[in-house]
Amino acid sequence: MKSRVSLPSWLALSVTALILLVLPRLIGTDYYLHIAIISLVFVILATSLDILVGYSGLLSLCHTAFFAFGAYAAALLFLHFQMSLWLTMFAGGVFAASIAWLLGLLVLSVRGHRFIITTVIFAEIGRLIAYNWTDLTQGQIGLSGIRPPVFDLPGLPRIDFSSREAYYYLALVVTTTCVTIIWRITHSPIGWRMLALRENEALAEASGVDTRRIATTAFVSSAFFAGLAGAVYAHYTGFVSPDLFYFTYTTTMLIMVFLGGKGTIIGPVMGAVLFTILPEALRVTANYRLMTFSAILLVLVVFAPEGLVGLFARIRRRFAGQGSVQDA
Amino acid sequence: MDLIPQYIFNGLVVGSSYALIAVGLTAIFGLMEIANFAHGQFYMLGAFFAYTLTRLLGLDFWTGLVGSVMGVMIVGVVLERTLFRILRGASLSSSVLATIALSIFLENLALNVWGPRPQKIPTPFETGSIAFAGVFTTPERLLMLAVTVVIVILLHVGLRHTQTGKAIRATFQQREAAALVGIDIDRLYTLTFAIGAGVAGLAGVLLGTIFVVQPAMGGIATLKAFIVVTLGGISSFAGGIAGGLLLGLAESFGAIISPAYKDAVGFILVMLVLLYKPDGLFGKRS
Repeated sequence: MKSRVSLPSWLALSVTALILLVLPRLIGTDYYLHIAIISLVFVILATSLDILVGYSGLLSLCHTAFFAFGAYAAALLFLHFQMSLWLTMFAGGVFAASIAWLLGLLVLSVRGHRFIITTVIFAEIGRLIAYNWTDLTQGQIGLSGIRPPVFDLPGLPRIDFSSREAYYYLALVVTTTCVTIIWRITHSPIGWRMLALRENEALAEASGVDTRRIATTAFVSSAFFAGLAGAVYAHYTGFVSPDLFYFTYTTTMLIMVFLGGKGTIIGPVMGAVLFTILPEALRVTANYRLMTFSAILLVLVVFAPEGLVGLFARIRRRFAGQGSVQDA
Repeated sequence: MDLIPQYIFNGLVVGSSYALIAVGLTAIFGLMEIANFAHGQFYMLGAFFAYTLTRLLGLDFWTGLVGSVMGVMIVGVVLERTLFRILRGASLSSSVLATIALSIFLENLALNVWGPRPQKIPTPFETGSIAFAGVFTTPERLLMLAVTVVIVILLHVGLRHTQTGKAIRATFQQREAAALVGIDIDRLYTLTFAIGAGVAGLAGVLLGTIFVVQPAMGGIATLKAFIVVTLGGISSFAGGIAGGLLLGLAESFGAIISPAYKDAVGFILVMLVLLYKPDGLFGKRS
């Protein structure tokens, strides 16, 4: 693991930043901007899921539940108390994190398939609550009318984020901040303990790592960012419904993490962008879209389990003529 | 209060279908250590094969039943020989992700072949309803129960008293040791997959005469089957059966309290079991 960022990486980073900043000018139309914003939301979701799946080795299948809980919290706070995204973002995150903490008390005592199954079940309970608690959530009809925020501080220019372009920049700032924080967490002593938990829990425990505590930290922080992403999503689309709890969303997020390259942050970022654009591009095949999508996933899981990042590394090694196998 | 026997009966009918699906899931997990998220799709395929054979091709119910169970077994064997052979020894997350992908693939394949509209498998019986001991029922439901009992007995006898059954149990306990003493592991895997898929397909055919058949039924069945094996203890044959019946009963009684939250009953049960008995009601400490 490199502690300093090398020159080529700096260049790549600067070029990417530049492209992201002028992107609305490059792509113009509302439809492409919409995809860009959704990509950004999924970048937060995929990188936060990577904390759990990639770094801590906990395959959670309820990430979309935290996303949905965040979105519902934001929607309700906006509709009942007119709170803007500046507040609901944190409220959504904290709400999702609190639920993760409570759930963690129960499910973090089990590992392997039991953990996986319990998380699936939890997401389903969430959907049932959103579906059936109609007084609060309006059930299947969902909640609508959640507005984007307005930046209005005395002495500063007033910015209304209801245009797609303005919201794109808002999402870009939020996403960049989240990814940076997630990168810092996973590359700190806490992140090293997560890796220890992933690699060998018994050994980590023996070396003095409080594995239960580190698993809880991973679970709660991952949920926080998912909840925050939920708020960004709710204020953008203006609408939340129980469908947000669907297993399909969790699958999508997992695809992004695994195909980008789990445990790398940059991998899930690429995965999120690619797998928001690809299904849109595959719309031409209409009915066969999900079939194609799942077939691609199947092939990649079987033949490139280390994701795009691993694939690139392999190609680079081949061209560099290095034969040795090395971990990312 | 008069309705209690009725609720028990309804619960047992639905529960026996859960048990039939869970048995295969348990066997595949116990033997190959793969949590097959596509297992419910065998149940869905069984129902659609029967729908095709009876309603579309005009065969009689019993021929359709045998044909579709054999069809699902073939699908199971083909998948075991290809995908699952590659996945053997893969990490937990890879195999989970791959079977999730397979599940999405099969569901959408069904959606394209048969369409999203709920269908029904024509019943082989003339009589509409039967009443006994204060319980109203239909011959289709009685058939479901009878078949489950027969399958459970057959599987039990097969596991206890045949050479293959002993080999399966030995492999359950110690895979490497079983291979060392000359058990043909590949053959057992294929056989287990064929039986597991076939039994799930059978449940699909039988339930398709009672409820409707649609592509989304597979995913729900997988979820229910996972609840069942978590309740009963994963990789426990008796646990799968008992867990299935328990979930069926719990849902049936849960519907009295709140029909909307009927499906939540099973989930809450699982949470409680995990809290107090993490290895399941019938599971051994691992």
